[in-house]
Amino acid sequence: MTVTHPHDTQAPDHRQGRDGQVPRRISAAAFLQQREAVLRTWPTGAGVCLEEAIEYQRAIPLAKRFALAMRDVAARRGMLVQPRAGVALIDEHVRLLKYLETDGEADLLPTTIDAYTRQNRYAEAALGIEKSITAGTSLLNGFPAVNHGVEGCRRVTESVTKPVQVRHGTPDARLLAEISLAGGFTSFEGGGISYNIPYAKNVPLRKSLADWQYVDRLCGWYEEHGVPINREPFGPLTGTLVPPCISHAVGIIEGMLALEQGVKSITLGYGQGGSIAQDVAALLTLRSLGAEYFRAAGFSDFELTTVFHQWMGGFPENESRALAVISWGALVACLAGADKILVKTPHEAMGVPSKEANAQGLRATRQIINMMADQGGLATDAVERERVILEREVRCLLGRVWELGRGDVCEGVAAAFEAGALDVPFAPSGQCRGKLLPMRDHEGCIRIFSPGLVPLDHELLAWHRERLEERARAEGRRVSFQMVTDDIYAISKGRLVGRPR
Amino acid sequence: MKTTQTPVVVLGVIGSDCHCVGNQILDAFFSERGYRVVNLGVMVSQEEFIHAAIESAAVAILVSSLYGHAEIDCTGFRQRCRERGLDDILLYIGGNLVVGKLPRAAIEQKFAALGFDRVFLAGDDLEIAAECLKSDLARRARRERRRIA
Repeated sequence: MTVTHPHDTQAPDHRQGRDGQVPRRISAAAFLQQREAVLRTWPTGAGVCLEEAIEYQRAIPLAKRFALAMRDVAARRGMLVQPRAGVALIDEHVRLLKYLETDGEADLLPTTIDAYTRQNRYAEAALGIEKSITAGTSLLNGFPAVNHGVEGCRRVTESVTKPVQVRHGTPDARLLAEISLAGGFTSFEGGGISYNIPYAKNVPLRKSLADWQYVDRLCGWYEEHGVPINREPFGPLTGTLVPPCISHAVGIIEGMLALEQGVKSITLGYGQGGSIAQDVAALLTLRSLGAEYFRAAGFSDFELTTVFHQWMGGFPENESRALAVISWGALVACLAGADKILVKTPHEAMGVPSKEANAQGLRATRQIINMMADQGGLATDAVERERVILEREVRCLLGRVWELGRGDVCEGVAAAFEAGALDVPFAPSGQCRGKLLPMRDHEGCIRIFSPGLVPLDHELLAWHRERLEERARAEGRRVSFQMVTDDIYAISKGRLVGRPR
Repeated sequence: MKTTQTPVVVLGVIGSDCHCVGNQILDAFFSERGYRVVNLGVMVSQEEFIHAAIESAAVAILVSSLYGHAEIDCTGFRQRCRERGLDDILLYIGGNLVVGKLPRAAIEQKFAALGFDRVFLAGDDLEIAAECLKSDLARRARRERRRIA
């Protein structure tokens, strides 16, 4: 295929605001009315007072504001380092975060939320807290912020010196957002697609999109009252061979939905795929296309930054090998010029890591970033080729979503997933078709093996197929599902491409 | 009669866990080895496992857990199986079963105490699980024959 810039270069202007009024922004009255019901879904909701929370947030020192940290790092072209971490009990969680900011030298802190809270199962989270107290160790895989309430969250955020973000996987995060933002967190991860499709069995997309519009409206409300809250759509989705065009389309949509509700600080994410050329191209494209689509939609007053996630798939069990995977991700993030990097740990293959393992990942990452600080990015023909392809793919996908939505992004998204025009590989959700199957090509780039119903043009699909046939010829086997399975386990077994045994 | 039919296994990821990649691979793996797999997917409750096992006359329930909450999610599972008449159904569990890093023996002991017949960790070879299942089923068939005799 001749690689050319697509003829259709401008993003369609589908939603220019009239009279300065952004259409589809939830009205103050509707928002406040919904709030009352949201706060009643668990007793700790009663502890949230929005006026008091805004006052509280205003008093948070500048150095602990996530949006400012992201703005600042983008201006000086550095990269901030952030772990994932969360345990059941407040004191334990504080100790963990303090360790990560001192021994781990993390720039930004997380609070990873446990899996029960993510499904709004607060009674089970309460049981987990109880059992953790008895066991003397955390039996939950994260911090149950809703159960701990506003005061519990404030004890956490007040105990550290760095900005803290809520990281989770919650299809309906309305109460979690209310409590954690009132609790002093200054950034909130997720979105109506990225925290539904990979994280739930069958939550209707229209429901999760609406619930996330509420979360964005809440963040926008803080913003309007002088408190910037950073929002980060979850880039990696299922973390398993996700073609970059899919995660880019989702990230740009979720960024746009957040802007629509008044958010201004947006960090778009991308999960490392494995091919250096493809990964560098993907991060550059995410930034450029994100800005282009946001502007075309009529938004100008936003701060767009990017986050690179180190390898999100299966890890080697051996800790030295795992640290190699971690360092490799750090290098690619530097070459791509990401503003922030999300760091894995050498315990990844085992599940939830110890704090020492977490700090090991942070230090390995820091070492690479420091060594790369004075070196430029990567500009090769392969990077350029991947950029052109990826841009064209994203335009195909978003073009169809706008078409189906006729001016309503949420409607377009719901219709696109129903029609299979948007599809996420290996997702648990019945809301997506799961017909799209990815596979690595001979050089390790993630390509599309079976497109399902995604609307990539014929030329693009033929090109993907040819890249896969090239690998199959080299391996002396036919392109088959076995290759997909081999690719899924390849990195944990010590290489990138799942070659025949 | 029963032993000549295709054996049925019930498969799923327990609790609030939505890790689904391995689940899809286990489904393909056991189907390939001649089992009829009733795959309940992710976020399956104890009750759903038991209900599916009764409905399908399953010989085994294969539980996955990747997110560290397995102990909480599996408490009382064996007891509940007995209450519902699944007296000697095989219960297997595999995955990342605890929060943090524990020695294999400690994890095996913990889940044996919860009533699981076999305990596997992430990274264990699926072929070994298949062999265990085959030999456990053969042993039960012999026992059954002796009982009838």
